[in-house]
Amino acid sequence: MRVWASLALALLLAIIVAACAGHDWASPGDVLRAIAGDPSLGARLLVEWRIPRVLAAALVGALLGLGGTVFQGVFRNPLAEPYLLGSAGGAALGATLALLVPLAVPQSLLLPVLAFAGAWGATILVIGISRVSGAVDAAGMLLAGVAMAAILGALRSFLMLALSDETVSLQIVLSWVLGGVQTPSWPVLGLMAAISAACLGLTLVLARNLDILGLGETMATSFGLNVTRFVMLAVLAGSVVVAAAVAFGGLVAFVGLASPHIARWLVGPLHRPLLPASALVGAIVVTVADAIARSALPPAEIPLGLVTAVAGGPFFILLLARRLRT
Amino acid sequence: MTALVADKLTVKRGNATLLDGLSLSLGPTGSIAVIGPNGAGKSTLLKVMAGIETPTSGRILLGDRDLASLSHAARAHALGFVPQHFDPHWDLSVGELVRLGAERGERVPQEAVDRTIAAFELSGLGHRRWSTLSGGERARVLLAMVLVVDPPVLLADEPAASLDIRHRLDVIQALAARGRDRLSIVVVHDLDLAFSFFDRIVLVDRGTVVADAPAQALLDDPQLDAVFGVRFERLQTDDGWLLRARL
Repeated sequence: MRVWASLALALLLAIIVAACAGHDWASPGDVLRAIAGDPSLGARLLVEWRIPRVLAAALVGALLGLGGTVFQGVFRNPLAEPYLLGSAGGAALGATLALLVPLAVPQSLLLPVLAFAGAWGATILVIGISRVSGAVDAAGMLLAGVAMAAILGALRSFLMLALSDETVSLQIVLSWVLGGVQTPSWPVLGLMAAISAACLGLTLVLARNLDILGLGETMATSFGLNVTRFVMLAVLAGSVVVAAAVAFGGLVAFVGLASPHIARWLVGPLHRPLLPASALVGAIVVTVADAIARSALPPAEIPLGLVTAVAGGPFFILLLARRLRT
Repeated sequence: MTALVADKLTVKRGNATLLDGLSLSLGPTGSIAVIGPNGAGKSTLLKVMAGIETPTSGRILLGDRDLASLSHAARAHALGFVPQHFDPHWDLSVGELVRLGAERGERVPQEAVDRTIAAFELSGLGHRRWSTLSGGERARVLLAMVLVVDPPVLLADEPAASLDIRHRLDVIQALAARGRDRLSIVVVHDLDLAFSFFDRIVLVDRGTVVADAPAQALLDDPQLDAVFGVRFERLQTDDGWLLRARL
């Protein structure tokens, strides 16, 4: 119980601090007055721009925490991360299309939809390829994912070279790939919250079978789990969660890898408590990282993925060192 | 009543034939030791009979039903399988592991879980994590996980091979004792343990059953020497026979 209260409190604190942070720092009092309906311009900016952005960042982090937990559970590998099966490459390709190809649809709609479609489509392709080639086990899927990532990366590079000119800058593509939460309107934020809640529910349904799968494939099969089918379903579900995160926040590095580990230290490896705990950890990490991204170098904004990578790189090294020692 | 029948099982993997038209018929109760040299097909036979691997041809009958027609859940409930190696990926506690075993059954009450934990002398270890357990404790946890739903058929692939003699006796005796009112099929490497604790011995070589007889009858069978490629001296002791192998 103490762990959950601490996590919830830490998230609340992170959200308050992040709501204060920006090029113009607000006091917690300003934030409270703005929420209470203060009509001043500063207060309206906080309510219309900063607070939705902070909450969106928290949701993106929660989705990455969920997705990472599912992928590590399915592949039973501590280095598994949500972008493993081509979803990063697919999302980046979709976003590149949305950003560089002039289409009749508004970009604010097109970007998340194409990023989502790219992320999920790439994972479905990877599963299809591994099934057709008969390599339905985890190793086969991982190899298919690596190949898919290479193909999609090359396609994206080609598109970037072919479609850019004086009027279309590559910088917008680059900054999207490096991750960054878009500021949503309140209705869109509501939609994001509903999608995130659905993702939590979806992954919780997988929790018990993820535990069983962790016993090893032989034992899981003898306990009545159809391993091949479950792995495929879990990967499909996990990649929906990741695709939603990517659609809202671009490619944010390391959060999906690190959150499940931190959560496991806090609540243990059973997936039913682990999934919500990992979502909370992810939410805290991205909320804080987004606040740093917005306020460290005013008036410029550092891409969110750079902030999480600078913090996540050392974490990754620490993780490897711990693993090598045990 | 439950009976387990293997009907002309053949398992081929690539060029290798692991089981070669093997047939075996087992009643609803009894303790059966499966013995044979390395690579004879004992582990494959057990996995196929447990429904974990599908045979290239042939079928398994559980009672009057084809095992392949049963749902995964029904199969998991009827057939307990103890693998040769078990190493869970997540460092779960003893209580969590036994609970996971129980959840495959049809609503196993917590008191049944507690009873199983007590029966395997794990009562004080409920919160201990797998990584902190000794080999003997791990073997008992594994048996508790499999037996917590009290399956009518148990298939165990020499779960005691790496244990010291005291723990090995414990485990083998517990498995053989289940044969009094259930079906217990165990791959045993120590022939003396097989002959002293089990009713019936199935001798497997090159993917087929070479001999299938009560322990007493098989002891003098010269095929035993032929299959293992040694000459056994049968030594009489106060409570049975001992086998000593000579090249």
